[in-house]
Amino acid sequence: MEIEETSQEKALKLIRPQREWRWEIAVYLYLAGMGAGAYVMGSFLIWLGYSLTPSRSLVLFGVPLTLTHAALLWGPILVAIGAPFLILDLGKKHKFFTACLNPRTSWVARGFIILSAFIVLGLVVLAVSVLSPETSGSRSVLWFIFEIISVMFAVATAIYTGVLLKSMRYTPIWNTPFLPTLFLASALSTGSMVVVLSVMSYGLFASSGDSLLPLIHGVIRAEQILILIEGFILAVYLWAVYRKGNQGKSSVHLLLFGDLKWLFWGGIVALGFFFPVILEVLYSRLPGYPMLLVLTGLFLLCGGFFLRSGVIAAGIKEQFPMHRFVEAKMSLAFSQEKR
Amino acid sequence: MHGKLIVIDHEKCTGCRQCEMVCSVFHTGASNPSRSRIKIVKWEHVGCYLPMTCQSCEKPFCAEVCPTKACHIDEENQRVTIDKDKCIGCKTCIIACPFGAPLYDKTEKVSIKCDYCDGNPQCVVFCTVKAVDYIEADRINLAKKREVSLKLADMLKHAR
Repeated sequence: MEIEETSQEKALKLIRPQREWRWEIAVYLYLAGMGAGAYVMGSFLIWLGYSLTPSRSLVLFGVPLTLTHAALLWGPILVAIGAPFLILDLGKKHKFFTACLNPRTSWVARGFIILSAFIVLGLVVLAVSVLSPETSGSRSVLWFIFEIISVMFAVATAIYTGVLLKSMRYTPIWNTPFLPTLFLASALSTGSMVVVLSVMSYGLFASSGDSLLPLIHGVIRAEQILILIEGFILAVYLWAVYRKGNQGKSSVHLLLFGDLKWLFWGGIVALGFFFPVILEVLYSRLPGYPMLLVLTGLFLLCGGFFLRSGVIAAGIKEQFPMHRFVEAKMSLAFSQEKR
Repeated sequence: MHGKLIVIDHEKCTGCRQCEMVCSVFHTGASNPSRSRIKIVKWEHVGCYLPMTCQSCEKPFCAEVCPTKACHIDEENQRVTIDKDKCIGCKTCIIACPFGAPLYDKTEKVSIKCDYCDGNPQCVVFCTVKAVDYIEADRINLAKKREVSLKLADMLKHAR
């Protein structure tokens, strides 16, 4: 028994993070999720009638930007910034445009199409809201349907970041329905923080000061709930993966106690959950210190990136049957040795 | 799937890695096992070796996830192949394959996998102990497969 335990411990120590997809893919998934989340939150704010009329509007290249545009702006832009990171990971970068040739079965190809469609739709909605505010303000049915379609593509983008990994059916830590759910919650959480930060910086430039506070407080309340939901999903996700079999167990071990433990406890738990919750509670008691909110935002955004990096790096493949067969034979050899 | 396939007998493998060497020499002109299409999975402490290469699955998952259709079933020879000209080096097939068969060639910046050396696999030619064989898919000994499965089930039962 002792020998078996030692060999199992040894095996766990030998497990190394997955090296095929690295930080480039993590940045791609992170920015896509965050941009989509910001767009969804921004659009919901508009639909809920949260748009304010600041005392002085921000003028960018001669175009006046109202508050809601600041939130919408980041959606397609962040996704567009993230997409080149996928290209950066490719061996043949100049052939990236052929990555959409197999949408029937490949999620990389489907993602290429979903992200491109979202960027185009998001930019159209943004352009119309800025250049022709009367169209977006008129609340015509046609325009509202167009907005809904763009938001649907934003949600699809946020879910896609998890589905891409989930489609890898031989990697237990990725192939679970909890992953797209976790990434969607993280996308909405980081996205709403992008909205808060952009609204705050907008307030800084447009000097509209206190008029922005009700909106910020509203988003922060939603944000607090989202962090708690995300934390709960993360715990359930890790528990479900741990119970999935040997490689699921190895992935969770790698993340919690192995090579990735600093990334998990420091980057994901401390930066992504612990500090933001503490700082938000502090801010609710000390509302006169907006710096607390900026810090919360920065920590949360870093946490979102580390979450993607950790999940990607912990992707250990299932053993194939022949491998399992030889391993089983080896364990038998150990137990015979013991006798 | 019809056609010929590479079949492994891990009990015969001595871990000499000659197959890796001849594979890399045949495909790249250099003796560089890291660029070989066949890999030896090793358990050195128990002297156990398992040569692994593409199994040409009937429903290849690597072809399913390939965004450019570079990884596909060659209808003529009934085997899975990667078209180097179409491959963009996204490594999705490498992550998808349960056998770890496709590899990323850092020199050519594309995914590579066993192409059976145009019908004369060098690993089979040079394997002196015949741990690697190249035979018709329908001639693979089903009785032996069944025996191995039973042995595995028995071992797992004892391991509990």
